[in-house]
Amino acid sequence: MVKILIDGNAIEVKEETSILEAAEQAGIFIPHLCFHPALTPEGNCRMCLVEIEGFPELELACSTKVADGMKISTQSEKVTEARKSMLEFLLAEHPLDCPICDKAGECKLQDYYDDYGLFDSKFNEKKEKKEKKVPIGKNLILDRERCIMCSCCVRFLREITHTQELGILQRGIHSEIGIYEGMPINNNYSGNLVDLCPVGAITDKDFRFKTRSWLLNRRDSICPLCSRGCNITIEYFHGFSRFEELKKVYRIKPRENLKVNGFWICDFGRYNYYYLYEDRMKGITYKKIEKESQMTWENTLNFISEKIKSLYHENKTSRIALICSSWLSNEELFLLKKIFKDDLEIENIYLVDPLQGESDGLLLTSDRSPNTRGAKEIGIKTMPLNIGTLSKETDLIIICGYFLVDHLKQEELKVMLKSIETKVLLTAHNSELDSFMDIVLPIALIAEKDGSLTNTDGFVQYFSSALKLPGESRPEWKIFIDLAKRLRLNPAYYNKFSSIKDIQKQIREEIPFFEEEIE
Amino acid sequence: MIKSLGYFLEILRGSVITSRHFFINMWFHTLKLFGIKTKTKGAVTIQYPEQKKEIASRHRSLHRLMKRENGQPRCVACMLCATVCPSECIYIETAEDSDDEIQKYPSSFIIDISRCCFCGFCVEACPEDAIRMDTMKIELASYERECMKYDKEKLLIINLIDE
Repeated sequence: MVKILIDGNAIEVKEETSILEAAEQAGIFIPHLCFHPALTPEGNCRMCLVEIEGFPELELACSTKVADGMKISTQSEKVTEARKSMLEFLLAEHPLDCPICDKAGECKLQDYYDDYGLFDSKFNEKKEKKEKKVPIGKNLILDRERCIMCSCCVRFLREITHTQELGILQRGIHSEIGIYEGMPINNNYSGNLVDLCPVGAITDKDFRFKTRSWLLNRRDSICPLCSRGCNITIEYFHGFSRFEELKKVYRIKPRENLKVNGFWICDFGRYNYYYLYEDRMKGITYKKIEKESQMTWENTLNFISEKIKSLYHENKTSRIALICSSWLSNEELFLLKKIFKDDLEIENIYLVDPLQGESDGLLLTSDRSPNTRGAKEIGIKTMPLNIGTLSKETDLIIICGYFLVDHLKQEELKVMLKSIETKVLLTAHNSELDSFMDIVLPIALIAEKDGSLTNTDGFVQYFSSALKLPGESRPEWKIFIDLAKRLRLNPAYYNKFSSIKDIQKQIREEIPFFEEEIE
Repeated sequence: MIKSLGYFLEILRGSVITSRHFFINMWFHTLKLFGIKTKTKGAVTIQYPEQKKEIASRHRSLHRLMKRENGQPRCVACMLCATVCPSECIYIETAEDSDDEIQKYPSSFIIDISRCCFCGFCVEACPEDAIRMDTMKIELASYERECMKYDKEKLLIINLIDE
């Protein structure tokens, strides 16, 4: 440990820490553009200059390591003057097209000018014209006028993805970011360059010119598209109230969590957010009722519970089948196991997940469902689907999720479901499966409900709802509790569950795996 | 009985006020007729639809969108006006322009005049001087709400009539 003095605050930090990180630990912010904790500091922007006693010149906070007894000042006159001058250098060739820049509102250069600059330009000369629209990747557009040569993108591709598609071409004032001819950025992490860029030099084709950053609402969530469980921020804008516009998600951004995803997310999770609002199931479908006004949650749940009850009393629970998926949260899988396996003693519980994809070796895993580990720890065993026995020996089938479509062809589905008397589907999206079903209930997605997920490394992550539920849909855990209460199985047990917290508490009590992870 | 007497008294009082105004104004107009100048002047009614008062040059009236030299809107769809609008009456949809110098333009620009409170914040916020409120048009009433939604084409034509 090293003892240093920053702005009069004595703190103790580990050896080999940079001054910038030490200051951050002391709660002092030093402005920086090219520094990122995950990348090696290069000291290009020179915004982080600090004064150290005994040093003849100002030093870079990002690349200078702390030494015992250092006396650092980050607010002295010399430092503020240097910051201002550095900003003047950076803005000398910057086009200042903030009105059309997608980064405006979250641009570091803009913020620092407001905090440390506020000078008028001393230049009479016209600014140099450069290319404004260089496609450098599938979703990326480079604006060379806005670039401040911080080299964050180059370092990211060199150190994190090890693909090295970008480099700095030319020298001195002519230097510019560029790709090798005919070799655009083509890796699964290219979207991170947009977040990494401190100015608006690299913009995202998917987000480009769609909206402004200050209009967006931000909610924390967890990415459910693979078993990694990356921490994300969902950014949405519901439109101005006078004009009808659907609440729309504009982009997904990574949220820092060093235990799971570090600072990044993959492009698969970043650009596949359309499932959040496209093709959504919004209302209840109940084929036996003709009047729409009678298609309520009460009626359908009553019908399902009566059906289960009658089969239960005739000792025919073996004729009930349940197909669930790992898109359910820990709490829902736990309730499902409690109700159907422990209380009703149903044996036919299958786990049908989306088809496996390819892993990319960094974050994206081959398993494309978010909670496979959770299902395993809770004790839901995967059984091979036996279409023959399922269709012959079942009177009631309850299906959660539409992933059956991925595994079986339409004819197979038809044959399998034809002879089953009552078919219930809980799904968030429209699919081919809907037409075969008697009852279709709309449910919530991970982004719309509370709960927890266990990622592939066994790390339990809690999340709360980020978006509003569309239409009549309800989260599954509420449906399962309602069903359990109607079935009158063990009422003392299920009546105490009024919120998601109660279920989480019960899980911690019953399953030792979940005991430790309390956030 | 007493209640209806009260009403009668109120009617009487009202007519007294009206006639007082009449005689005071009459007095000042008569003085003016004889060439006697007074500090207070008699009230004058403007016969509005036929006769119109001049509008002050700084008056905030119906919006218009300014044009570039080639006839395209000057607006770059930065959405600052939509952000600052207190009655949320501006709706903008953006699109990418093929010209690298312009880059961004509004594919749809709607102002709901029925919601507008004519505060002029949109004009102040605009970095490109693309929206102005100097058309001097104040008669904006309409029989339908839909007609009060001024779209991009309409707002650009207003520009043409005036210049």
